[in-house]
Order: sequence, then C-alpha cells, then structure tokens
Amino acid sequence: MTDLLTSIRRTPYQSLAAFLILFFTLFLSTTILISMSFLHGILGYVETRPQVTAYFQQKISQSDIFKIKDDLTNSDKVESVKYISKDEAFKIYSQLNKDNPLLLEMVSSDILPASLEIYAKKPSYLPEIAAFLQKQPGVDEVHFQKNIVDRLLILTSILRRTTLLFFVFLILMSTVVLTTTTLFKVAMKKEEIELLKLLGASNWYIRKPFVQEAIFFGFLAAITSFAIIVTALLYSEPFLSSYLRGISTLSIAYNSYQIIVWPLNPLFLGICFSLSAVFGMGLAFWGSYIATGKYLK
Amino acid sequence: MIQFENVTKKYLLGTTALSQASFQIEDNEFVFLVGPSGAGKTTILRLLLRDYLPTGGSITVDTMNISSKKFRQTEKLRRKIGFVFQDFKIIPEKNVFENIAISLRVLGKQPHDMRSKVNDVLKLVNLEGKEEVFPIQLSAGELQRVAIARAIIGDRDILLADEPTGNLDPKTTWEIIKIFHKLEGKKTIIIATHNTDIVNSLKKRVIVLKDGAIVKDVRKGGYDI
Repeated sequence: MTDLLTSIRRTPYQSLAAFLILFFTLFLSTTILISMSFLHGILGYVETRPQVTAYFQQKISQSDIFKIKDDLTNSDKVESVKYISKDEAFKIYSQLNKDNPLLLEMVSSDILPASLEIYAKKPSYLPEIAAFLQKQPGVDEVHFQKNIVDRLLILTSILRRTTLLFFVFLILMSTVVLTTTTLFKVAMKKEEIELLKLLGASNWYIRKPFVQEAIFFGFLAAITSFAIIVTALLYSEPFLSSYLRGISTLSIAYNSYQIIVWPLNPLFLGICFSLSAVFGMGLAFWGSYIATGKYLK
Repeated sequence: MIQFENVTKKYLLGTTALSQASFQIEDNEFVFLVGPSGAGKTTILRLLLRDYLPTGGSITVDTMNISSKKFRQTEKLRRKIGFVFQDFKIIPEKNVFENIAISLRVLGKQPHDMRSKVNDVLKLVNLEGKEEVFPIQLSAGELQRVAIARAIIGDRDILLADEPTGNLDPKTTWEIIKIFHKLEGKKTIIIATHNTDIVNSLKKRVIVLKDGAIVKDVRKGGYDI
C-alpha cells in the first residue's frame, strides 16, 4: 500500500488520468446497465399484460361470449383466454379507483362491458387474433398492445446494439488511455525495471505494482461512480414513483432467477456495483497488462 | 562452474565482440577480465547474465546450458548472480536500505528477514548507520559500496563487476577492492577492469582479451597485454 501511494504521489497527473478515464467509463456503463435493466423490466411488465382485449356490447349473452372464447382456445395461436364478467370488471374498477369516491359513484356494474383477455403464443399472431375478434358479432371494441410491445422491442433492440457499440468504444478508449498512462509510469521506472530484470525478477514481479495500482484505480472509480449514481437514483425516486405509478414491481429474469429492479432494492444495486467493480478492475488489469507486456518484450 | 566453449558474439551491424572464446572458471574462483575498451570484457559478463545470447558456441553455468535459445530459466540463473555496474545503477528515489533490500525482494525473502541481512551486508561494506540515507547524499565510493552490497546480499553464488572502480578515485578504488578481497573464496568473482594497479598487485587469475579474442589466461597473473 505504501508503494502504491508513493507511486501515485510521484506521478499525480498520470494517476488522475487513469482514474478519470475509469470513472468516466464506469459511470456511463453503470448508468446504461441500470437503464437497460429498467427498460427490460418495463418490457417484461408490458408482456405480462393481456395482449388483446375484446370488449363486448351490453346486448350479447354470456353463452355467445363463451362460444367465441372456445373458438379462440381451440385455435393453435392462443396461449390462454380469460373471461372478465361485468361484475369482475366493476370489482377491478373499484379497486383501481378506491381512493376516488366520485368516480365510484358515477359507475355501476351495468355500465362496464364484459371482456375477453387473450394471450397469444407469439406476438406475430396478435393482428390475426384482433381481426378475428373484430369480425365477431357483439364485439364493441378490440384493444391490442402490439404497437407498444413492438416499439419496446425495437427500442430494446436498438439500445442493445447501440450499447454494445458504445461499450466497445468505451473499452477501446479506456484501454488506450490506461495503456498510455501506464507506459508513462513504466518509462519513468525504466532503469529500475532493467535492474530488477538483471537481478532475476520475474515478469509478474515487475508487472505487479503497475497492475495493482491500475486495479486500485478501477475499484476506486467503481465506488465513486456508483456512489454518484445511487445518490442520483435516490434523489429521483419520487419522480420515478409517480412515473411508474400503478406498476408495483419491475423485474428482470436471469435463468430461473427474478431480480427486482423497481422499487430499488439492495440486491439489484449490489449486483450492479459488483459488475461495475469487476468490469473496472478487469479493464484496469487489461490496460496495465498490455502496457507492461509491451515493455517487457 | 562456468564454462565458455568457442563462444562468439557478433552484433547486428557485424561487429565481432567475442570470437571463439573458451575458458573455465571454478566455483569460488577470483578472476580478472582485462583488456582495452572494446576487447569483449563487458560482452562476457552480459553473456553470463544472459542479457545477450551468443552467436556461436556454448556457455554453461553449473549444469545449465544458458546459451541455448530454448533455455527458460533466465530468472533462476540471474538469481544466482550479483552484478556491479560502473555507473552503480542505484535507484535515486529509494534509500540505502531499500536499494539493497530490492535484491532480497526479488529472491522472495520476507520483509522481517531483510533488516538483519541488510545490516550484516552494510557492515561488510562499511556503510553501517546509512540505511535511511538517500543516494543523493552519498559519495561515488559509497554508492559503489551500496551496489556491491546489493550484489552480494542473498547468498548469490557469482559476483560480476563491470569496471567497478572506473568512476572512483585511487583511495576509494582500493577500499572497494578490499571488499571484493574479503569475499574471495566465498563466491565466484569476475571483475572486468583495465585498472593495471589493482590487477598487478592482487595477483589473481587474469584472462586477457584483445579485439574479442582471449590472448592470455594466467593464474596469478598481471596486467600484461
């Protein structure tokens, strides 16, 4: 530790450059990671909503609705169909507006239509299912979320590709800056390294202080960037709460595990920090390893 | 034991630094390599350190053929050898203790072992009490003594010195030679020099080089080219 601090003190500008590039990279990477997790959470949430909802006219009988339900269930394009009666619709409405007595007074179960909530096997079947429903007698209105899901899928796909490119750029930029700053430090210790080699030091022995210093900066940058991001998240929590009103949880699935993204929870933040720290230290190790390797050759 | 068999070293531009050199040095022998500048003295030392590879011939240190390109134990070889340079190669940012202890650190010694070992070697080179002093505060003679201390600490079997008194005044030169003399019989010592006084008065084995070739190899010899 003493050697590490001495090295930082002797090369303050190179150390600052190494820290800042790692901080910049980790700040952006972690911000993107958290944003992508939220986006995937929202996408997952939207996908769990009924994909097509058909509202029926008041005059249609329950048996006619059940006949349509059976036709859909027997089709190979539908995963499941749920019938929502007028009474159930009123219960849902009452639950959603329990804090607003005026709205509750204005509506009775007679006004609300019965409906079918349909989940398709594939999003591509949605237009066909919607078209089928629109042709059925007694169907008043058909809502389907293809547009929302499609847009979210397109947005996620674009963001994923952009993020990938951005990450590659960040990794390249950080590696170049880290390699250059480490090369400066190596050049300043050229004579000492030559001496160490003649004394029989292994390549790893010579590399170790440079790699250790870079990893230290990687860890420090991870802590600093994460502290700033968490502060910003906590500060904007009320805004996010109002924006995501009605959504109790957002989660992302990893294999069989569900990680809750919203509301903010320590596990998700811990995973983000761990990934950021590992990425930062890995990047630092890589940059310093290349720099010292170039010299040791 | 060190053995050179028909060793030749040519540099990239075609200069022949060493030509068909053959000699053998027994364990704990004291040898002077003498000759004018460019005769090949430093080349022999660098070849022994495997800092250079020979163009031809073979070099054996103990049982290791260090001239082979397939040799993968350079670090192990160098840990057997202490090296003293004409320009001392002392690290200015480190104090005397740190400059000497670096040799032990490379050998993987634990920090708690270092203090007593450094003190012992400082006593040998007459630098007791100077552990915390920085190189800038030392004279040339003292710097060379630090370099010798660094080269002999850690029980290295071979001590190579390249013009160790080249930058020193006559009085200091003799002080340094006395240190080498104290080590005689304890390790193999090879000193490259063109200081006639030292070679003539010590009467040790002398290998004389001229234009890259060994022209004389005499036991208890003198500087006579």
